[in-house]
Amino acid sequence: MRDVIVIGAGPAGLAGAISCAANGLLVTVLDEFMKPGGRLLGQLHQEPSGEWWNGIKEAERLHQEANKLAVDIRCGISVYNLEQEGHHWHVHTNTGRLTARFVLVATGAAEYPIPVPGWTLPGVMSIGAAQVMTNVHRVQVGKKGIIIGANILAFAILNELQLAGINIDRIVLPEKTPISGKAAEPEEIMKSLLQAAHLAPSPLLRFGGRFMKHDWIRKLGLTFFPKNGVKVNGTPLQLRKAAVEIIGKDQVEGVRVADTDVNGMIIPGSETIYEADFVCIAGGLYPLAELAAVAGCPFQYVPELGGHVPCHSEIMETPLEGLFVAGNITGIESGKIAMAQGNVAGLSIAKQAGKGTGTIDQQLQQAVQNIRNVRQNAAIQFNPEIDKGRKKMKELWKEHYAKGDEKFHKIG
Amino acid sequence: MTNIENMIICRCEEVTYGQLLSTANEHKCSARELKLRTRAGMGFCGGRTCRVSIDKMIEHVKPNITPGDIPLKYQPPVRPVTFGTVGEIK
Ligand SMILES: Cc1cc2nc3c(=O)[nH]c(=O)nc-3n(C[C@H](O)[C@H](O)[C@H](O)COP(=O)(O)OP(=O)(O)OC[C@H]3O[C@@H](n4cnc5c(N)ncnc54)[C@H](O)[C@@H]3O)c2cc1C
Repeated sequence: MRDVIVIGAGPAGLAGAISCAANGLLVTVLDEFMKPGGRLLGQLHQEPSGEWWNGIKEAERLHQEANKLAVDIRCGISVYNLEQEGHHWHVHTNTGRLTARFVLVATGAAEYPIPVPGWTLPGVMSIGAAQVMTNVHRVQVGKKGIIIGANILAFAILNELQLAGINIDRIVLPEKTPISGKAAEPEEIMKSLLQAAHLAPSPLLRFGGRFMKHDWIRKLGLTFFPKNGVKVNGTPLQLRKAAVEIIGKDQVEGVRVADTDVNGMIIPGSETIYEADFVCIAGGLYPLAELAAVAGCPFQYVPELGGHVPCHSEIMETPLEGLFVAGNITGIESGKIAMAQGNVAGLSIAKQAGKGTGTIDQQLQQAVQNIRNVRQNAAIQFNPEIDKGRKKMKELWKEHYAKGDEKFHKIG
Repeated sequence: MTNIENMIICRCEEVTYGQLLSTANEHKCSARELKLRTRAGMGFCGGRTCRVSIDKMIEHVKPNITPGDIPLKYQPPVRPVTFGTVGEIK
């Protein structure tokens, strides 16, 4: 019988499966997509060092490594429920039930939209859908597009669309509503862009990072923000314009846009229509934690991590015996970090299973340290306060679930 | 009705922003009650698309959610499955 079932063949799941298998455990990986790699399959960006991060290559490398260790990878299978019975976990899938003592849930993140009037028209998609169509399926999403929402994911994917020769006309903000909230406030966006200035796509924002730390300078900056916006890789980013409606009869024909003040309030009579044949909405990402929830795992709301996350320790255990988590389900971060977390989860499982050599504790500590190193050098950071979020979870764990320090040091 | 009131939030069950907002304001309800009153989040996708929007609307009408609770509970099956899959096939 298998020892471990990994749900999700993204960087976290594959890395976890590899470190379990390398320590002599029998592993099955399940994923509902048709091939392994998860969100890696859509990723292509340049690191600050100038090197390219090619997600498809990373996915292939992980897949090969897993194959060498005889990991059983099954694609096209959806898990719809997860139940504990005694010391075992039942994993219910659309092709039957599998059982194992250990389960690693590595289901990644999901996108949330910001609804805009007209967003149900054909031709409107999430920014992630544009990424998948372009980089995974190699389908041209349209001829001229507008992105609604300015965040790091939008900029990364803007770049990928441009590399594929697809024209993005401009980036505007959503209209201010209780749902869009801060995503519609030019000042808030400016602040988050400045915090991420070291990875800013535009020299102007990089410049801003050093000089626009003070509130009043920022306000001044926004007041004088060029009406046509700043350019991100040649595409205008217009923080003082809000999309009030996506228009079109049977499909997208354009976006009705209004000017706003620095707080995102619409200036009456300022509306114009910009033509487009597709629209990407960049809302944001949240941890896809549905399976941990139906399994009965306790949760905590940590906004810095992207929303509700299953409670977990630094070594990726949950309060439920045999249930582990890794990757974006624990907080929204980049692919490399998911991989580093997967490795920790795998070692952690191996340790609990009594596998691994005498050095397993040492390996585990090194692997935890490695997550921190990778985080420090990350090219893409979804939340500038990620460290704060991670710390909150660590403290929560210590307070409620840690059984002294013995867990970390028991064996070896 | 304005454009924004007619805007669909839950695409599976076709529930509009206006319907959600007036129900939330009238009953000052929890996300669960809002779901049960309007069917938002009860469609094919299991709330995957509108969950965050509904949470944000509730937060706006009724701030101070408890940090440990997920406002809209997840229920198995978390993916659409056939009756044959969940039941016994004879
Ligand atoms: C649209 C989008 C774009 C992104 N773009 C970038 C980017 O450009 N750069 C970057 O660094 N990061 C990006 N990210 C962040 C990304 O989540 C991480 O980089 C990384 O891929 C997370 O790894 P993971 O292993 O946790 O999850 P994922 O890579 O998301 O893998 C999770 C896997 O689990 C599977 N799965 C989920 N639920 C089930 C189920 N019930 N049954 C069976 N299988 C299931 C999925 O099919 C998926 O393959 C993006 C995320 C999203 C959602």
